[in-house]
Amino acid sequence: MIKENENVKAMNSSAVPVSIAFAVVVVGMVGVYVCGHLVVWLQNLGLNSFASYPELFVFIAIILLAMLAAAMPGSHRISIISIAAFAGFVALTYNQEILIKYLSLAALLFSIGMYGMVASRNAVRVLMSIELMLNAVNLNLVAFARYVDPVHVRGQVFAIFILTVAAAEAAVGLAIVLAIYRNTATVDMEKFNLLKW
Amino acid sequence: MEQFELLTNWAQANVESFMLYLLAAIAIPCAFSVLFDRAIIRSGFFLIGVFGAISGLFLILQAQFLALAQIMIYAVGITLVVVIALMLTNARLEKEFSSIEPTERIGGLLVAALFFLTIYLALRSESWPVSSLQMRADNVLQIGVALLTNYALPFEFASVLLLAALMGAILLAKSDPKETENVTGSLVE
Amino acid sequence: MIPNAAEIRKLSVLSFSWLTVIFVAVWGVCWLVGILIPALLANSSFDFARAVSEICEAITPLLAVMVFIPINAMFMVLMERRVLALFTRRNGPNRVGPDGALQTAADAIKLLLKEDITPTGADAAMFTLAPIIFFAPSIFGAIPLLAAVTNNNKLFQIADLPTGIFFVLAASSIPVVGIVMGGWASNNKYSLMGGLRSAAQAISYEIPLVLSIITICLLAGTLDVVSIAKQQSGGILNWNILGGGALTGLNKAIAAFISSAGPPIAEVIKTYYPYGWLSLIGVIVLCLCTIILFGIYLIGACAEINRIPFDLPEAESELVSGYNTEYSGIKFAIFFLAEFTNLFIVSTIAVVMFLGGGDCPLPTWLNPLSYPAVYIPLTNILSPILSLLIDKIHLINPDTFWAALWVILKTYSLVFFAILVRGTLPRFRIDQLMDFGWKRLVPITLVIFVLVAFARGVINFHV
Repeated sequence: MIKENENVKAMNSSAVPVSIAFAVVVVGMVGVYVCGHLVVWLQNLGLNSFASYPELFVFIAIILLAMLAAAMPGSHRISIISIAAFAGFVALTYNQEILIKYLSLAALLFSIGMYGMVASRNAVRVLMSIELMLNAVNLNLVAFARYVDPVHVRGQVFAIFILTVAAAEAAVGLAIVLAIYRNTATVDMEKFNLLKW
Repeated sequence: MEQFELLTNWAQANVESFMLYLLAAIAIPCAFSVLFDRAIIRSGFFLIGVFGAISGLFLILQAQFLALAQIMIYAVGITLVVVIALMLTNARLEKEFSSIEPTERIGGLLVAALFFLTIYLALRSESWPVSSLQMRADNVLQIGVALLTNYALPFEFASVLLLAALMGAILLAKSDPKETENVTGSLVE
Repeated sequence: MIPNAAEIRKLSVLSFSWLTVIFVAVWGVCWLVGILIPALLANSSFDFARAVSEICEAITPLLAVMVFIPINAMFMVLMERRVLALFTRRNGPNRVGPDGALQTAADAIKLLLKEDITPTGADAAMFTLAPIIFFAPSIFGAIPLLAAVTNNNKLFQIADLPTGIFFVLAASSIPVVGIVMGGWASNNKYSLMGGLRSAAQAISYEIPLVLSIITICLLAGTLDVVSIAKQQSGGILNWNILGGGALTGLNKAIAAFISSAGPPIAEVIKTYYPYGWLSLIGVIVLCLCTIILFGIYLIGACAEINRIPFDLPEAESELVSGYNTEYSGIKFAIFFLAEFTNLFIVSTIAVVMFLGGGDCPLPTWLNPLSYPAVYIPLTNILSPILSLLIDKIHLINPDTFWAALWVILKTYSLVFFAILVRGTLPRFRIDQLMDFGWKRLVPITLVIFVLVAFARGVINFHV
């Protein structure tokens, strides 16, 4: 009985992600428009250095949306945040050089990994976030190797070193997590407070 | 016909951007799923998606060797170890993100967002010395030569690091002899 | 007197007819799409037609693999069942079609028509994704091999891949993700155990597998599959399994001795083996090393594709059926297809890396029946027809034909060997498996790697 109710609930809420995604896009467009006017207004105010980065407003709008989505309950949070982040990424980089596109993507992935590292409670998820960050750095290096230094591919050489360090880090980190789990029967970062004071 | 040609030229000029956005559209949702998915083992599998997309980006960037090494080491090796660790540490116990304090979450979000903003603005304001030279197709040869000449010392250090990590991981993950005895004893009983 | 000679005869007739069907089907499709359609469209004045012919040429390798994989897997399943029956003195499938030749086709149709069940509590998306992840890499992994096994036919040359063998290895390491995913998503403890075992096994045995291939690449001096295959042409003494090209000088010396037309033997030997006794020791070490490497490759490959004696992930006496316990219908069919395709691809890699690719085993100096010689009298008799087929419509390409024939023969010998092993050996225990992988195979491969790196210095390769 309970199971059926849950199913019905899930079916009713399946229209929610579509409508929310639509709302995100519409609000984003309106935000861009409004931001464009804000830029003029700010320029009139004389804050030229700030106004020369109109993407900043797109970015702030996207961040607000993502925070809104993160505050919302339910499993559609991921899709909303993803759409917001991807739309923001495209809006910020579509008229930039190709190198900057790669570097921005790497920075975005690095930030995602950083957030996961700070906010996750599961130790293994923290490790996964660190892997994500290392990978973003690799992407940076390979992009530099392709566009800045295509003759001696030094970026790729360093990426190989990072690959090695990442493998070692994963092995040792997971071994530590397993050892802690054997002793305390938990992988919650909040409960790893044996050495706190 | 002329318009068609213009369109083709435009598409050819921007094919790398299209591929980049396509792979970003895979990588970004997968990365968020790694952070937010309820079933943590599924987020382990999403990690494979991120690594696969990044290896696709490496292929576009003409780093064939790194792309394949990425698949073999990250997408299969490391991620499988992570998934096994998740399965061993009884993932059902966790009630993640539901019980975390909101202040911490917002703090992390702010830090990450400001970090991205800083890097992005720095990127934009810099004029990069983009080289117009093409890469050699067999840059795996260049990497090999570089690793054994200019970077021989870091290369050796990396191997020592790997060895130490291997031994350390085995020692850490090995269960206590006493515990093992207890387990076997209970099994026999 | 062989006790079941009749069975063996039936089996060989069956294999011959199936292989002919595979050959004709694959090459027919390639010829149609890669040669006929572009030739027909060549004189067209439309831009669109040119685009179509370019697309046709581009997708030919993919089409070849897509046609080849299902038919070939059907034949391999049938062959496995019949050969196992032969080993155990049974009859094997013999009802559907002549001598049971269509048994697996019937099985495939049955599997496709079955209901596709997703168990309660399963993670539906992952459950569906797992067979695809298990199967898709085998297609991508096979494509770079195509040019190597067809004597570099220009139909199958894809964009330049200087790291060809690495590509194949990376593709062949992905399927284990599908196994773990399927095992976890099934919500079944046997499946989960199968997936976990498979992950541990694949990670452990991938190291000796890749190291053995890398040692061969060290000897060959390239990562490109096509050039590795090409370096080994000229008979069994040039193959990588015998010293990785260390015996090329011997081959040349014997040829010089027989023909007495080329340079004197002493000079040939001096060119290839400049350091006298040291070179001799180097040759012996290399030959031993490469033969051991071939064995290690076969063991590692067996573990990588979960064949007996390494079939712990699907050990039916312990884990019901392991990771594919909950699968049925088309998803199970895909798992099954991919398993046999992986066996075939792994054997093909062995053939290309160790057994000379599409090269005739007889050395050229010992070969009165070398294929141009067979082929020339045939041309004299059938010259009008053959010239029509070869030069006018390109339906037959002699180089590709003989190379592909040899590759198929060698590959199926290795597949036969795998079936023989399956019929002979019992299953490993999991701790024995780990011990064998980490404490035996990895050190042996590392030692061989160092030995080969030193022994390589005292011999001249591929002068």
